[in-house]
Formats: sequence, structure tokens, C-alpha cells
Amino acid sequence: MNKKIAGPLAWFFLGATLLFLYILPAHSAVEVMTVLGEEAPPGFDPVTGKRVIPTVRCLKCHGDESEQTDVDDDGNEIEIYIPPHKFEDSVHGKRRCAECHANITRVPHRQEPEVVVGCIECHRQTWDANKDKPDNEFKRLGVVIEQIEKYQDSVHARPEDEDDPSVLNAGCYDCHDAHNIGTLGSHQRDEHRLENPEVCGECHRKQRNKYKKSVHGKAVMEDGDSEAAVCSDCHTMHEIDSPEGDKVMLQITTNCGNCHEESRQTYRSSYHGQVNKLGYTHTAKCYDCHGGHNVLAIKDPASAVHEENRLETCRQCHEDAPEGFIGFHPHGNANDFEKYPVMWITAKFMQALIIGILAFFWVHVMLWFYREYQDRKAGKSFAHPKPGDDTVYIRRFTATWRWIHLLFAVSTMILVLSGTTLLFSHTAWASFVMDMLGGPKVEAILHRTAATIWLSVFLVHFFIAMTNIVRNRKTFRWFGPSSMVPNLQDLRDVGAMFSWFFGRRERPSFDRFSYWQKFDYWAPFWGAAVIGFSGLMLFIPTLTASFLPGWVFNIATIVHAEEALLATMFLFTVHFFNSHFRPDRFPMSTIMFTGAVPLEEFKFEHRLEYERLKESGELEKMLVKPPSRTMEKGSQALAAVLIFAGLGLLTLVFIGYMTMPG
Amino acid sequence: MSRERHIIILALLALLPITALAESPTAAALSYTCAGCHGTDGSSVGPSSPSIAGMDPEIFIDAMQDYKVDKRNATIMNRIAKAYSDEQIKGMAWYFAKQKLELLPQSTDTQLVELGTTLHDKYCEKCHEEGGRSGDTGTLAGQWMPYLDYAMEDFIAGRRDYPRKMKRKVDAAIKAEGEQAMPALIHYYGSQHNSAQKEASHE
Ligand code: HEC
Ligand code: HEC
Repeated sequence: MNKKIAGPLAWFFLGATLLFLYILPAHSAVEVMTVLGEEAPPGFDPVTGKRVIPTVRCLKCHGDESEQTDVDDDGNEIEIYIPPHKFEDSVHGKRRCAECHANITRVPHRQEPEVVVGCIECHRQTWDANKDKPDNEFKRLGVVIEQIEKYQDSVHARPEDEDDPSVLNAGCYDCHDAHNIGTLGSHQRDEHRLENPEVCGECHRKQRNKYKKSVHGKAVMEDGDSEAAVCSDCHTMHEIDSPEGDKVMLQITTNCGNCHEESRQTYRSSYHGQVNKLGYTHTAKCYDCHGGHNVLAIKDPASAVHEENRLETCRQCHEDAPEGFIGFHPHGNANDFEKYPVMWITAKFMQALIIGILAFFWVHVMLWFYREYQDRKAGKSFAHPKPGDDTVYIRRFTATWRWIHLLFAVSTMILVLSGTTLLFSHTAWASFVMDMLGGPKVEAILHRTAATIWLSVFLVHFFIAMTNIVRNRKTFRWFGPSSMVPNLQDLRDVGAMFSWFFGRRERPSFDRFSYWQKFDYWAPFWGAAVIGFSGLMLFIPTLTASFLPGWVFNIATIVHAEEALLATMFLFTVHFFNSHFRPDRFPMSTIMFTGAVPLEEFKFEHRLEYERLKESGELEKMLVKPPSRTMEKGSQALAAVLIFAGLGLLTLVFIGYMTMPG
Repeated sequence: MSRERHIIILALLALLPITALAESPTAAALSYTCAGCHGTDGSSVGPSSPSIAGMDPEIFIDAMQDYKVDKRNATIMNRIAKAYSDEQIKGMAWYFAKQKLELLPQSTDTQLVELGTTLHDKYCEKCHEEGGRSGDTGTLAGQWMPYLDYAMEDFIAGRRDYPRKMKRKVDAAIKAEGEQAMPALIHYYGSQHNSAQKEASHE
């Protein structure tokens, strides 16, 4: 043989043999099984050669209504009846029994049969094989698969005994009546809802017995109302877990609201609910007050929240709650005038206040921006000093006032952050911030600490201001230029400013404090009173309720939140614009941090004061050297940090406000 | 030996299983050897051997395996069964299952048949469906009566293991009708031949 072609030829021969004998047959379509040339007879699967047991064969015994029991190998009577019409009507009605009961290979049973059905496996396989089909026939199976996954993480899917992983707490058909599963909206569904308490109660007897007496239980088990809450409505169907875990406690609280929607919403606008919404469970949840399995209607004298029993219920957590607590509306709703008129009026008043003030000042801001921008372009403004210039500065704020401002700013921001986290507990950022802060308990301490600093600063300032006034009582003029008290000139100044905005006159001149600076000053005064007082009431509820009715908490909560929102929005828009963002100042002013203003700027902004001081000869004494480079840089950095923090907070508040439910 | 030869031998070796298979007789061929006693294609023409045409293949296999290990009382089959491998038995089972059962009329007593009908419906029908026609519990309807008689005797005398739960029903039938019960049932099964079965299936 020619050696050259013998090699390749031999290889070709081997390749062809393997291909035709082994590779191709393996790839050809499903092969029919034969035994010694004999194919499987009818009634047997031609591919697997296994018996195909038709459903009628099973129903011969299991579908005989007149003989519903049989005896097992020990002689005990057992139920074997499967109502055929129910099964045929069910979602599995077209399946053969042995498709699920795959361990049954012979009929009649040659050994005592065991019920082992691989529900999960079969549903998964069917889903995997069909999920990409364009028609929606298998869409619902996707839901089943989701539920399976939830089930597998649930307490029911864990072994009853750690040492024996084969016995689970509950398998699919411990709960599902597998021969009678209905499609969505089918009559079987209603039947199952009514049976649900008994199905769960099979294992959870104690809970079932309590539930039976509850308002839900009576409706379901006595009146046959399939709409009333059954076990799975609160506990979910597959995500079941021990109610000791946070996840379940939160879930159940949420689920109550699936029916009691308004109550869930009003709950979530209360402190209890805000904390809960953020994922913490130490505050009161639905069932802490209303009862869980044994929940009763509020008007039922045995209900835990019936007026007679309510205080005792409050005292489960608020140990020394005084009588006043009874008057609190845990589900108070400021939108419901009929039921909560005072809350409604308070909320409307606060909202009007917010809208009024912000509307005025936002218009003020926009007009001012426009006019100042025009003026600046036209060169009708002062020039900012360049580094290295030996500009003359004038002292405007002493160190004390600067410290007070800084402490005020920082504590305000902490208050805003910690407060709005609760107020906007519905947002994703709030949960994130709350976790960062370390939870509502830390947040509470933070908020109260910042509030204490804030109030202390306020009081210290008040004290200093008063001392100054008293010390200079001979010369102090209440309506004079160094006083913060608004006067008639301020009113005229407002008019003059607007005239300037519309280009009808030149920019007005101001003395030491302009009207908007006075407003910036007085706003926290009113804020301190309102926010501080309402906050204090909520801080020490037991004391408050010992001499005030409980509904003041509802009012205090509204006032506290709305006023704080107003302050936040005002400070981080109007105040920021007036002091930092307007064209003459952009991007920031450091006067409040260095305490000194370039004389040029001072002359421009406070010409009246400048002239007055010059005339009296005081000006000379107030002139100072430019702030040191370190001071200037430091102040800029500090101002930048505060401004960015403020804008950040503003964004969060804005998101919260816009997405507020209800 | 050259490398080419190695490869060619390898290819021939790959062919080997196919040729080995071709040498074994088919199930159909094996089954012809049974015709002498069980009739052509398993429909027995005389009462000495039971009909095995249309027999449920799993019951067939059970029977042959039991004969093979002397678990089931037999006159001849235990010796015959031992000659066949598991695969051959399965092949024959599938072959016979597909054969049409041809039944010959047997003489029966009308009264006994009547009694047998009621007894069957009450005690036997759930397992031996449709009056005992060939199915997953074997063939009773139209089976040669002497064979059935011998089978029942074996059960009752303990020479053959009762299928699970059958004993309860047999005992109950005997308890209800005494000595008459078994003959009645056997007459009932014997009374069914091809035309009788057709009538039953039309109902
Ligand atoms: C010599 C006659 C004879 C031959 C040949 C014979 N059989 Fe049998 N067969 C019988 C008899 C007789 C019985 C009843 C049991 C017994 O007495 O052994 C029987 C019983 C059976 C049964 C049980 C029937 C039932 O209803 O339970 C099967 C199955 C069977 N034979 C299969 C075969 C097969 C397969 C062959 C061929 C390989 C075969 N027999 C060859 C005589 C024969
Ligand atoms: C619980 C089910 C069940 C009931 C009830 C039952 N049988 Fe059976 N019977 C079987 C099974 C299974 C076989 C197949 C036996 C085997 O494989 O050995 C069988 C086999 C037989 C056989 C032997 C057939 C043969 O070819 O060897 C006879 C005869 C018989 N049954 C009669 C009866 C009679 C008569 C009744 C009613 C009184 C009855 N059986 C009730 C399950 C049952």
C-alpha cells in the first residue's frame, strides 16, 4: 500500500465509523426504545419503556365516592378519596396522577405508597422549558417560581429537626390542597381563603384559636366572608418566618395596610410609623396596639384600643404614661377635617405660611437677581478686592456673633438632617441616612443634642443682646440703625427695592441692617419659639401629657415639621441667595466668617451707615486690616462646606417633599 | 505493526458491539418456542396452559422472574423460565403484550356466572378492571378456567404469594358466599370470550 495515502485513509475510516455508529445516532431525534427488536407495547412510553398510568386507573379506587377509605398495611383506616370533578377542574386537571406521584410505577400499589411529590422540581423544569415561549400560557408559572424561591427561604422550608434535614417544617402540600388548585380568580381561590385558617391552624393551633375569636376570624370562619383577612394576608403565603425577626414584623405591619390603607398612611405620618417605615421595629406596630391574632374592632369593649383599655395599652411601652395619652390620635389625619378639625386648621395655616413667605421671597430673589445682574454688567457696582491689594476693611461682626452664627448653622443642619430623615421616611435616602446615623435611637439623641445647642445659642445670643441694650440703655434707640427691630424705614426700603428691581430708580442705600437681614434674623426667632416649644413637648411627652391633652402631640408634630421645613427652605434658598449667590456676592460671601467687609463693598451695600459713621468719626475706629490669608482661605472653605451641606439638605428635602404620599 | 493497521483495528473494534447485537435472536423469535403450549402468539387452545397473549408485560415479567427463582408454584414453567435472561424475558413480555388474545368458549354454569358477576364487582373489579380483562393485574377474563382454579388454589393454600391487599378481598368473598365463591368467580371469568368481551366494552 502506498504509505502516503494509507495513513490518511485509515484515519478517515476510523472517523467515519465513529461518526456513523456513535456520534450521529446520539444526535438524532428522540430514540424509540427496543428490547431484542421489540418496541414497547401500548400503555408504555415508547422512549423510556416505562408504564404510563392513566388518571382513570387511579380514580378507579381514589375517585370512588362510595368507598372513600381504605386500610394501610397496619390495618389503620386511611382517607384515599380525591374528588374527581375537583381535580379535573383544577389547574393540574389535565395531568396524569403519576406525573406528580412519580414514585408510583405500578397499580395496584405493590408496596404501601408514600406521598412524595417533587412540586418544586417539576414547576422549575416546566418553567425552564417554557419561559421563553411567546404566548402567555406559562406566565403564571413565573409567579409560582417566585413563590417557590420565597418559600425556600422561609421557615417552612427549614428542617423540623436540625439533625434530620429530610423532614421540613412544612412542604408544599401540607398547605396546598394539591388536587384542588385553582387558577387566579377561580372559585377554588375563594374556597381556599376560607379554609386558610384551618390549614395553617393544623400546626398553629394556638394562633388559630385566638384568630377564631378575632374580628377577622369571625368574619371568615363564622360568616364565610372570603374577603376578610386570613393568615396569609398578614403573614404572606410563602415568605413566612418567625415573627420575632425585623423583616417579618415590618412585613406584617405593611400587610395590615393592604386592606387598612388609610390607617397605614396615617400611621406612617406618625413617629411610630416613620421609624417603622425606616426599617426599625421598636416603635409601636399595628398589632402592638390593636392585637394580632386576637384583633378586635375598636368599639368592642374587649379591644386593647377601646377607650377603657387604651391607657394600659400605651403603658406597655410608655410606662408612666399619664391620662393625657388617651387623647392622642395615633392615626390623626391632617387632611380629614371632619374627624380632626384642629389638625386640619393647623396644617392649612402652616402651609399657607410656607407658601406665603416663600412666594414673596422667591419673587424677591428672582427680581433681585435680574436687576443686580443688569447693574453689574453696566458696571454699576463695587469691585471685589484682588489678593495683594491693601484694601481697607471695616469690622462688621465681632467674634462672638460669628461663633454664634457658626454654631447656629451647624446645629441647624444637624437638626434638619436628623429631623427630615423621619419626616421623609418614605424616601430611599432616608433609610440610607438612618442606617448611617445608627438608627432612630441614635438619631433621637443627635436631634436632641443639636436642639439643645441650638436653643442654648439662641438663649446666649438673647442674653448678650439684652445686656448690650441694657448697658447702652441711655443711648440705645429701639428704632435706631443698630437695632434689629423693624421700623417704618424698612417698609419704605421694601418699596424702594422693588422700584429698583423694575428699573424705576437707582439701587437704594441701607443703614446697618437691611430689611431682609432683619427678616433673616427674626425668622429664627419665630422659628425658635415655634419649633423649640413644639419640639420640647414631643421631647418630654410624659410631662406634657400630664397637664395637656394628648392631641397636642398631633398639633406639635405638624407645627414642628412644617415650621422646620419653612426654615430649611428659606435658609437654603433665600438666605443663601441674599448672602452668597446674588451676582455681587457669587459664589459666596465670607463676611460672617471673617467678620470684616472691604470698605468699598460696605460703602456700596450700607451707604447710609457708612455716611453716618463717617460723620460721627466712628468710622476710623472701625477700620481694620484685611483678614489674613489663612483667615480668608479658612473662611472660604468653611463657607463652601456649609453652603454645599445646605444645598445637599435642600435637595433631600425637595425630594422628600415632592414624593410625600397622600 | 504499522500505525495505520492500529487505526483500522480500532475502527473494527468500534464496529464490534453492533455485530454482537445482530447475533442475538429477536424477542419475536424467542417467543415462537412458547407456542407449543401457549398457542400461536400466546392464545392457548387448550386448558392445560394459560393464554399469555395481550398479557400485561410487567405481570409477565413478575411471573417469569418468580418462576425463575422458584417463588411461584409451577408444573413446568420454573424449568423453562430459568433458560432466559432478564433482557430476553422483557423482550418476550413486550412481544406477547402486543398479541391479540383469541379466546375460545368454555362451558359455564349460568347461576354461578351470575353470582360471580356480583362477587367480582364487589371484591375484585377495582384491581381486576373491566371484568378482569387483560390489564395491570394480569388476565382473568376468558382465561382457561382450570388454570384459574389452580391459581386460586395456590393462593389460598399459600403456595403462591398473594398480591398486596388481594387476600382481604378473596377472604371477604369466601366469607360472604362460602365454598361457592371461587367457582362462581371462575365461571364468571370463564364465561367471557371474545364476543362477550366486545359486548361488555360497548356498554
Ligand atoms: C411445556 C409447555 C409450556 C411451554 C413450552 C411454555 N409454557 Fe408457559 N406455562 C405452561 C404452564 C403449564 C403454565 C402454568 C404454570 C405451570 O404449571 O407451570 C404456564 C404459565 C406461564 C406463564 C404464567 C401465566 C400467568 O397467567 O400467570 C407465563 C408468563 C408463561 N407460561 C410464559 C411462557 C413463555 C414465555 C414460554 C416460552 C419461552 C412458555 N411459557 C413456554 C406451559 C408451558
Ligand atoms: C388489591 C388488588 C386486588 C384485588 C382486590 C384482587 N386482586 Fe387478584 N390479583 C391482583 C394482582 C396485582 C394480581 C397479579 C398477581 C401477580 O403478579 O402475582 C392478581 C392476580 C390474580 C389471579 C392470578 C392470575 C394469574 O394469571 O395467575 C387471580 C386468579 C386473581 N387475582 C383473582 C382475584 C379475585 C377472584 C379477586 C376478587 C375476590 C381478586 N383477585 C382481587 C390484585 C388484586
